[in-house]
Amino acid sequence: MSLVNYATREITCKIVYYGPGRSGKTTNLHYIYSQVPEDRKGKMVSLATQTDRTLFFDFLPLDLGQISGFTTKFQLYTVPGQVYYQTTRKLVLQGADGIVFVADSQARQLQENIESMQDLHANLAEQGMDAQQVPLLIQYNKQDLPSDLILSVPELEDALNFWNVPNHAADALHGHGVFETLRGISELVLKKLSAGAGSR
Amino acid sequence: MTIAVVETWIEEPLKRFVGDARVRLALLLHTSGQVVAQSGFTRAIDVMSACALAAAIHASAGELGKQLDGKPFHVLHHAGKSRQIVIAPAQTKRGLYIFLTVFDQESSLGLVQLYFEEFAKRLADAAPAAEPTPVVLAENFERDLNRNLASLFGR
Repeated sequence: MSLVNYATREITCKIVYYGPGRSGKTTNLHYIYSQVPEDRKGKMVSLATQTDRTLFFDFLPLDLGQISGFTTKFQLYTVPGQVYYQTTRKLVLQGADGIVFVADSQARQLQENIESMQDLHANLAEQGMDAQQVPLLIQYNKQDLPSDLILSVPELEDALNFWNVPNHAADALHGHGVFETLRGISELVLKKLSAGAGSR
Repeated sequence: MTIAVVETWIEEPLKRFVGDARVRLALLLHTSGQVVAQSGFTRAIDVMSACALAAAIHASAGELGKQLDGKPFHVLHHAGKSRQIVIAPAQTKRGLYIFLTVFDQESSLGLVQLYFEEFAKRLADAAPAAEPTPVVLAENFERDLNRNLASLFGR
């Protein structure tokens, strides 16, 4: 649920990066954090294990500046990807205005991607959110890996993109596609928020 | 004392609580981690981090309470060396909010709990039932968005 402060004309939106373990969700946030000027970002909060695996979430507040006369702020969250952090994922997903599903393009990770997508749909349904109404974008990460190790974007689309939502190929470690993904989900979220936009 | 609120009906109850309970910081937020009102913070962006963490603490303690006791824990209290934190839920017609407050030796846990009960009641009484009208963005908001994101990424 986007929060709108009419007195100060501020909009705050929550965007959650979802996906299987080690698909690159935290890497997306780290790249964004490294690129954004100090005065446009807050502290990046990571609740992680000693080996830097996300335990609860990563959180990065961003100030997007003025959009249509509203000061617009985005709160970027990641969820822990491992199967056993199901409860935590549900908690972080609460009130999400938009979701980026970060898929791991490696062929051997296909089943994990499918299970994570199913888990996302189940968690949205449990919270009374219609998966077809929530702004959703898929990022096919690690497309920089050797072609014999990864699936192509069309192959991943066949397996994961049930509702034909927008997608971006990415190499989050080096930043390729990270900006485009953020721009894509921002557009979807703000379109949904603007008057008359009831769906994707 | 600086108070910032998203909707005006929250201001009076919060102002009164901060004055009566003599707390350093106070935050009211949605369960999703979105800030609704704050007092005492100097930088907006720090408020967001505090909200994200408070929502996480509330949510995880709630789940833990359900598993241990069959229902969520109501009030959480953490005592530090010089400062203490209380996190508690506040129910209104608008839904459930989470309240976080930080206090030092100027106040006490008892005082905070006493005034929190009053604050929660005032908040519930003041909350309007109707949701605010949806925001209307200009049709060409994409132009602003693209420009701002490009500047954010130094492009």
